[in-house]
Amino acid sequence: MILLTEDSSVLVIGGGVAGIQASLDLADRGFRVYLVEETPSIGGRMAQLDKTFPTLDCSICILAPKMIECFRHPNITLLTYSEVKDVSGSVGKFAVKIIRKPRFVDETKCTGCGTCTQKCPVVEPSEFDVLLGDRKAIYMPFPQAVPRIATIDKDNCLYFTRAVCKICQKLCQADAVDFEQKPQEITLNVSAIIVATGFDLLNPSVINEYGYQRYKNVITSLEFERLANASGPTGGHVTRLSDGRIPDKVAFIQCVGSRGLGRGVSYCSSACCMYATKEAILIKEHEPDSEVFIFYIDLRASGKGFQDFIDRAKENWGIQYIRGRPGEILEDPRTKDLIIFCEHTVSREVRELRVDMVVLCPAFVPKESNKKLSENLKIRLDEYGFFKNEDSMLAPVDTNVPGVFICGCCQGPKDIPESVAEASGAAARAVEVIALTARKEAQ
Amino acid sequence: MERMSDETPRIGVFICHCGINIGGVVNVPEVVEYAKTLPNVVYGEENLYTCSSEGLSKIKEGIQKHNLNRVIVASCTPRTHEPLFRATCEEAGLNKYLFEMANIRDQCSWVHMGDHEAATEKAKDLMRMAVAKAGLLRPQEETEIDVAPSALVIGGGVAGMTAALCLANQGLSVHIVEKEHEMGGMLRYLHRLYPTMQNAPEVMDQLVNAVNSNKNIEILTSSVVKEVKGFIGNFEVTVQKGNGKTVNLGIGTIIVATGATNFEPFGMYGYKEYDNVITQLQLEQLLKSERLQNMKNVVMIQCVGSRQEGRSYCSRICCMTALKNSVLIKELYPDADIYVLYRDLQTYGKEYEEYYREVQKKDVEFIKYLPEKPPEISPGQNGKLNVNVYHSLIGEQVEIMADLVVLSTPLIQHEDAKDLSQKLKVPLGPNRFFLEAHVKLRPVDFATDGIYVCGCAHWPVDVGESISQAYGAASRASIPMAIKKLRTEAITAVVDEDICSGCGLCELTCPFKAILIEETEKGRKAKVIAASCKGCGACGAGCPQMAITMQHFTDEQLLAQVIALAEAIP
Amino acid sequence: MTIQEKFEPDILGFLCNWCSYAGADLAGVSRFQYPPNVRIIRVMCSARVDSTIILEALIRGLDGVMVLGCHLGDCHYITGNYYTKRRMKTTKNVLEKTGVSPERLLIDWVSAAEGERFATLVTEFTERIRKLGPLGKETDLKPQQLRTRLVAAKEALAQERIRWLVGKEGELVEDKNVFGEKVSQEEFDQLLFQTIEKEFAKRRILLSMGEDALSVKEIAQRVEASPREVLRNMISLEQDGIVSVVGIEENSPKYRRVGE
Repeated sequence: MILLTEDSSVLVIGGGVAGIQASLDLADRGFRVYLVEETPSIGGRMAQLDKTFPTLDCSICILAPKMIECFRHPNITLLTYSEVKDVSGSVGKFAVKIIRKPRFVDETKCTGCGTCTQKCPVVEPSEFDVLLGDRKAIYMPFPQAVPRIATIDKDNCLYFTRAVCKICQKLCQADAVDFEQKPQEITLNVSAIIVATGFDLLNPSVINEYGYQRYKNVITSLEFERLANASGPTGGHVTRLSDGRIPDKVAFIQCVGSRGLGRGVSYCSSACCMYATKEAILIKEHEPDSEVFIFYIDLRASGKGFQDFIDRAKENWGIQYIRGRPGEILEDPRTKDLIIFCEHTVSREVRELRVDMVVLCPAFVPKESNKKLSENLKIRLDEYGFFKNEDSMLAPVDTNVPGVFICGCCQGPKDIPESVAEASGAAARAVEVIALTARKEAQ
Repeated sequence: MERMSDETPRIGVFICHCGINIGGVVNVPEVVEYAKTLPNVVYGEENLYTCSSEGLSKIKEGIQKHNLNRVIVASCTPRTHEPLFRATCEEAGLNKYLFEMANIRDQCSWVHMGDHEAATEKAKDLMRMAVAKAGLLRPQEETEIDVAPSALVIGGGVAGMTAALCLANQGLSVHIVEKEHEMGGMLRYLHRLYPTMQNAPEVMDQLVNAVNSNKNIEILTSSVVKEVKGFIGNFEVTVQKGNGKTVNLGIGTIIVATGATNFEPFGMYGYKEYDNVITQLQLEQLLKSERLQNMKNVVMIQCVGSRQEGRSYCSRICCMTALKNSVLIKELYPDADIYVLYRDLQTYGKEYEEYYREVQKKDVEFIKYLPEKPPEISPGQNGKLNVNVYHSLIGEQVEIMADLVVLSTPLIQHEDAKDLSQKLKVPLGPNRFFLEAHVKLRPVDFATDGIYVCGCAHWPVDVGESISQAYGAASRASIPMAIKKLRTEAITAVVDEDICSGCGLCELTCPFKAILIEETEKGRKAKVIAASCKGCGACGAGCPQMAITMQHFTDEQLLAQVIALAEAIP
Repeated sequence: MTIQEKFEPDILGFLCNWCSYAGADLAGVSRFQYPPNVRIIRVMCSARVDSTIILEALIRGLDGVMVLGCHLGDCHYITGNYYTKRRMKTTKNVLEKTGVSPERLLIDWVSAAEGERFATLVTEFTERIRKLGPLGKETDLKPQQLRTRLVAAKEALAQERIRWLVGKEGELVEDKNVFGEKVSQEEFDQLLFQTIEKEFAKRRILLSMGEDALSVKEIAQRVEASPREVLRNMISLEQDGIVSVVGIEENSPKYRRVGE
C-alpha cells in the first residue's frame, strides 16, 4: 500500500452527495475517513429531492445505497449530529476538535426500530420537510436516514422542557434512551480535510413583490420537492398549501434573487433552469391536463442531455417557456389564486397570468456556517460567502491552505454530476498532496 | 476454521421480537416451535433484538454449541442487516453466504398490524421458504485478483495530462497515448482562457513540462491504441507507435481523455464562401498570432450548428468563448463595435454571470435572436457583410455592416471515437460522446469496470471543468491500483460449458461486459469475468440452453422457495 | 345457514433488491397496511426471474404472481428491467394460450421511494385475484387438464427458440439484424407470438403422447386440434429430433417421443 500509515486519515466535513462520494473514494483507497455531518443523518439536499434531472431517477433511491455503503464501510467513521469546533496544525498533521452533540440516545444500543418515534406525543415541524411536514421530539429525520438512530430535540422534548413524559424511555426495549447524555469532544488527527458543506436557498421574501410567506400558494422549489416526494408531507401529491387542491395552472419563476443587482445575489445559480423543467414535468406527469409556465431570462441547459430534456418538456409535455421576469405577483384573497404581471420580452406583451400555484426558484446561497468554518480552517471565502478555490481553472478544489480542499456547492452553485466529479477530484487531490507531503518530509 | 458445509445442512433459526415491533403482532414463540419442525432445522431460539450485541453473541454461541452450518435470522430487512449478520457468521467460522434472512417485520408485522393471526401464518410461510433455500446454500468465496499498478491515459490534452500527473504524483505509473505528434490537445490552438485570461500556451507548457519531467509518466506521441483485451486490473493494451512498431502494456485502469474537435459550419452563414466569416477557433488563431486586423464591426453568431435539428445539444463553452474573445478584440481595438447574436446566454454559475456583466459594460451589444428567425448574411459593400437579424427583445430587424463575422460552433466528437469505443467495449451515447455508467452519480465511470472518462470526450466543457473532471477520473482510477488487489463479487454467474452452445446471447445481454464468448478446445463458450460480474442474473434467466447458474440465487434455490411456499396451498 | 368460505388468494411476489424490495420495506417503515396474501422472494434484479419459475409457481397452485422491478431507465444493473419487460410480455402471452388469465401475472415498476404505492399495488392486485377466483376458475378445464397446459407452457418457455428470440428483441428492434435491417416492434411481436403459439402446441402434443406411439389423428384427438396443425408440428418436432416415426398404420405414420 502506497500511503497507508497511521496518520493517513482524512476528515470530510458535510454528508451530502459530495461528502459521501469523497468519503467513499478515500475509504476504498484504504484511508480512514471521518465523515462529520451536523444533522442527525447524512444525505444532504439530494435526499430531499424527489427526482433528478435529466433522467428523472428517484433521488433517494440512487443515493440511499451510497449512504448505506458509507455506514457499512470499515474505513469510514460516521460522526453525525456533530460539528467542527477547532482546527490546528497543517497538511499531514491537522488536529481537529469535533463536538458530538448529544442525541440523548445511545448509538450503541439503538436498533432504529422506531417505536419511540411512533409514541412520542410532541409534534414539531420537520426541518427535512422544509417545515411543511411534521416530526416528533424524538425522531429520525426521514425514513431512509443513515445512521438509523433516533435523536431527541431537546428544545421541544417534554422531559427537557417540563420534566414529564419519558414515554420513549419507557417503551424502548433496548434501553437506548439516555437523558443524561453529554456533548462529547473528540480530537481527530488527520492528514487532510475536505469541505463539502453544501448550500442553502435564499429566502425569497427578499423579493417581496413575489409574495413568498405572504401568499400561501407561493412556494419555493425545495418545498415543491418535498410535496412531490412520495415520503413527503403529502405522500407525493403536489397540492396547494391554502386548500389542499391539486393545482391546474402552475408557474415557475426563475432567477429569484439570482442574476440580480441589489437584492439577492448577482451570480447565476446554474441548476435552476433544469430543475424547474424537471419539476414542471413532474406536474404534467401527475396531471396531464394542467398548464405549466416557466418564466426565464436565459435558458441554461448546457450540460449532458439537458437541451434534449428541455426540448422534450416543450414538445412532449407542452410546458410553456415565457421569457420575462415577472414584475409582481398578487393574490386573489378569495381563492388564494395568484396573478402574475409580466412583460414577455420576446412577444413584448404585458400580460396578466392567473395561476393556482407559483414555484419560486431562489438563488443558491452559501450556508451561514461557512464563516465560522472558514475561520477555523483559515480558508478564504469569496465575495459571496462561498469557499474560495485557489484558481478556478487550474486548482478548482484546492484552497489557500495546503491540505484543505473544497468540493460541491459549498464553493459555488452546481448540479449533482458536477458535485460528484468534483468530490472525487478533491479526494484525488487530497491523496496527491498527502503523498507529496510525505515524500518531502522523507527527504 | 471453516465449518463443513457439504454435509447435511444443520440449520439454526433465530427469530427476533424487535422489541414489540415483531413480537407485538407475530406470535414469535409459535413461529420458533414451527421452525423446529422444518427439515434440517436443528436449533431455534427467539431474541429480543437479534441485532444487538447480545443477539449477535447468541448467534455465534448457537453456531458453535449446536454445530450449525446454516443460519437463518427472521427479523427485519436484509437490505440493512444482512451484512451485519453475515459478518457475525464469519466471526463464528461459518462462510457468510451460508446465511439467509426472512423479512418478518418490514414486510410482515409492520404491514399487517390489524391481523395477528394472518401475520403469524405469513411469518411461518416466510420461515419455511427461508429454510428451503438455506438448505441449498453453498459457501461462496470472493476471489482476489491482482491489479497492475499502471494506468493508461488515452489523450494528451489538458484532461489527460492533469489526470496523469495526479496519478503519477501518488506513485502510480502512467502511460499517456496521444495520437498527434505533440501533447496539448485543444490547448495548442487556444490563446487566452476564460474567465481569468490566463495564457493558454503557458498553461499548456506548464502541464507538458510537468508530464515530461515526471519519471512515473511515459509519453507515447503519434501513437494509437490498437487493441485492448482483458478486464479491470488486467488489461492487455497494444499500442501502435509512430514508427510503426507496436508495444504491449499491462494496464490496471484506463482513462479516456480524447477530447473533442470543432465543428466546421460548411454552408452556414457564408462560411468558406466569404473570407471574413470565420469560426471562434479561427479567431483564436488570429488573436494568438497577432494577425487580427483592425476593424469596426464584428458580429458573433452563437449556436451555429448546435441546438438545431440533427445536433440538438448546447455546446456549453461557446458563449463564454465569444465573450472572452470580445474582450480580447476590444483590448486590441477599443473602437471596435462588437455584436453578439445569441439565443440563450450560457454564462452560468458563480463567475461567468459576473463576467457577462463586465463585458456588457465594455459596450459589447447583445442581440437575442429567435431560432425560427436566424440572422442572414449577404455580401455588402467593400467586402463587408450585411448581417440582418431580428432583435427579438426590441422587436425590430437590425442590420449591421460587419467587417468580420465570427461563428460560434459546437464541439463535436472525433470521427475515430467509434473505433476506440469498440476497442474498449464502452458505449457512445447521444451525439456520440462517451456514455458514462450513471449520469448523476457515476459521471466519470464507465459501466465496464476499470475504465473512466473525463473532459470533452464526455461532453463539451471548458478547461477548468476538464481539470476538475480529470481529478475526478484520477481518483476513481487510482482506487484499484492503489490497493493492488481487487476482491471480486462472490455471487456471480457460472457457465456450464458442457451445455453452453456459444450462442452469445449472454454477451449481448450483459451491460458490464462480464460474460464473453471465447474460443476453447470445446468450441465457442461463454466465459464469466468474475472481476466484472455483478451477479444480477440477466444472462442466466435468458440463456437459451439454461447453461448459466446464478450463485446464491440459483434456479434450484428459487424453486425451492416457491415449492416450500406452495406446500401450504391445498 | 352455510358459512361461505371467502376465497383468500395465494400470491407470490419477486421483488428486486434495489427498488421494489426497498419500496416494500418503505411501506413497512411508513406502516402502510396491505392484505397479508402476498409472500415475497427477494432477487437482486427483476431480470433474474426466469419465466419458467413463474409457471412453476402457478403449476403449484399460486393464484397470482407479481414481478416488480425498478422503473425503466433506473435499473441498478442498467438494462436488466428491459429484459424483464420483454420476458414478461412473452410469459403473459404463453399464459393466455393456456386459458389462464394473463392478469394473474403482474409486472410493474416500483421505486425505493414508493412505499405507499407498493401497498396500494398489492392491495389492488390481491383484490383483482380475489375477483378472478382460484387459479383456473376462468377456464372450464379440469384440474388435470389445466395442469397439463401449464406444464406445456412452462416447457415452451424453456425452449431455445423462444428464449433466443426474446433475448434478441432489443437488438433487432432498436438496432438492426445481421442484414442491416431494422425490425419494427409490430413485426417482431407478430413473429414472437407465432413462435410461442407453435412451441406451446408442440409441448402440448409431447405431453399428450407420453410413451405411446400415436398417429396424427390420435394425437389430434388428445389435444383437441386439427390433424393438419398437428402434422405441421410433428414435422417440426421430428426435425428437432424430439419425435421419430416408428411405424405406419393405415397409410398414417405413427410417432413416438425419442429425444430430450
